[in-house]
Amino acid sequence: MVNHHPDTNTLLEFAASSLPAAQSVVVSTHLQFCSKCRQRLAQLEGLGATMFEDAEPVDINPSLFDSVLARLDEVQDDRAANDANASTMSWTVKQIRNGNLEELQWKKVTRSLRIADLGDIDGAAEFSLYHIAEGGRIPQHNHSGTEMTLVLQGGFSDESGSYHAGDFITREAGDIHAPTALPGGDCICLAVLESPLRFTRWHHRWLSPLLQLRAG
Amino acid sequence: MVDKQGEGARGQPATSAWSVPEGRRTDEWSQCVVRIAEHRDRAAFAKFFSHFAPLIKAFALSGSSLSAAHADELVQEVMLKVWQKAAGFNPEKAAASTWVYTIARNCRTDMFRRLQKFDTQLEAEDVGFELEGDEPTMALHASRGAVRVRELMSDLPQDQAQILAKVYMEGKSHSETAAELGLPLGTVKSRVRLAIQKLQVFMDAGSEE
Repeated sequence: MVNHHPDTNTLLEFAASSLPAAQSVVVSTHLQFCSKCRQRLAQLEGLGATMFEDAEPVDINPSLFDSVLARLDEVQDDRAANDANASTMSWTVKQIRNGNLEELQWKKVTRSLRIADLGDIDGAAEFSLYHIAEGGRIPQHNHSGTEMTLVLQGGFSDESGSYHAGDFITREAGDIHAPTALPGGDCICLAVLESPLRFTRWHHRWLSPLLQLRAG
Repeated sequence: MVDKQGEGARGQPATSAWSVPEGRRTDEWSQCVVRIAEHRDRAAFAKFFSHFAPLIKAFALSGSSLSAAHADELVQEVMLKVWQKAAGFNPEKAAASTWVYTIARNCRTDMFRRLQKFDTQLEAEDVGFELEGDEPTMALHASRGAVRVRELMSDLPQDQAQILAKVYMEGKSHSETAAELGLPLGTVKSRVRLAIQKLQVFMDAGSEE
């Protein structure tokens, strides 16, 4: 049972395709877990489609139709086209969607924490998977930007509550927390941060640069 | 976290504005796509083009977000995708207009990213979510009461309608919308939520969390 969801604003930006790519990956992975949000997405897309249909049509130059017709035969079969053009990043997203997380490149950060850095997307976000061993803890940190987290496996708790597989958690800039994996198994989370997170406890400061290492 | 605006929707009957029976028009376009898929029917494609290409162009030009040349390029890209993806269209899952809207939306996002020279290796389709249509309310666009929704739309206060147009038709993020209108981000967010509530978009009652 999923208890924490993206808010209406986030889901609407996703439905209108204006949410940045990394955040969209987190939302779309949540949708795999959550039929309630799938319904909401359908409703929000339906509204977008209604506005689209009600737009004042703009005249099209007839030559445009001819040039489309002339290109119809060039159009590749959908699947072949996708495979040929697949980037490393879209491969990575597929592994996350399919739960093939061991395929990704993990770095050990502490005894109980491993991180797979998923790379730069749209130049802004810190975008990573976190693997916290059962009972392990991520050092207390605050955020300089909004962080979206999705629990993929297991669960964690922090100052605000407990979260389980499928839960989507938003932390605003300035929130401080120290997530601890719940008993019963390791916890894996997908997280995107608007800008790099900073550890607040001096003895963990050395960790910050490590978290930003590229996985490669 | 409880969404205050969402709470107002609690107790709405399960039949929202979106659940009135289907209209013929939607059906006509769905049949078109099916004929394109099954028979590579160019006459059906021409008919589909003549209806939707002017709408795609309008969508592309909303808020002058693209030049006329880019808008034409977008129309071509979307219509080629219609031809390419027609086999994946299922009229039982979605209305053709919703289907073509999602294609246009994705193509435009990719075009924005290309034009802004974002170094992204991901396309809108990679990060999006394709609804399977297995949810009880999936067919809502096909079966929505278009008249009722449009009535609700016309009753929407101008400041909310304007923001919805920016978000959907112009493809602007909330922060871009806030910057353009000179409003605090929080104001944009709450107007969006109010509009969604007034249009009775969500059939399920209650808050988000």
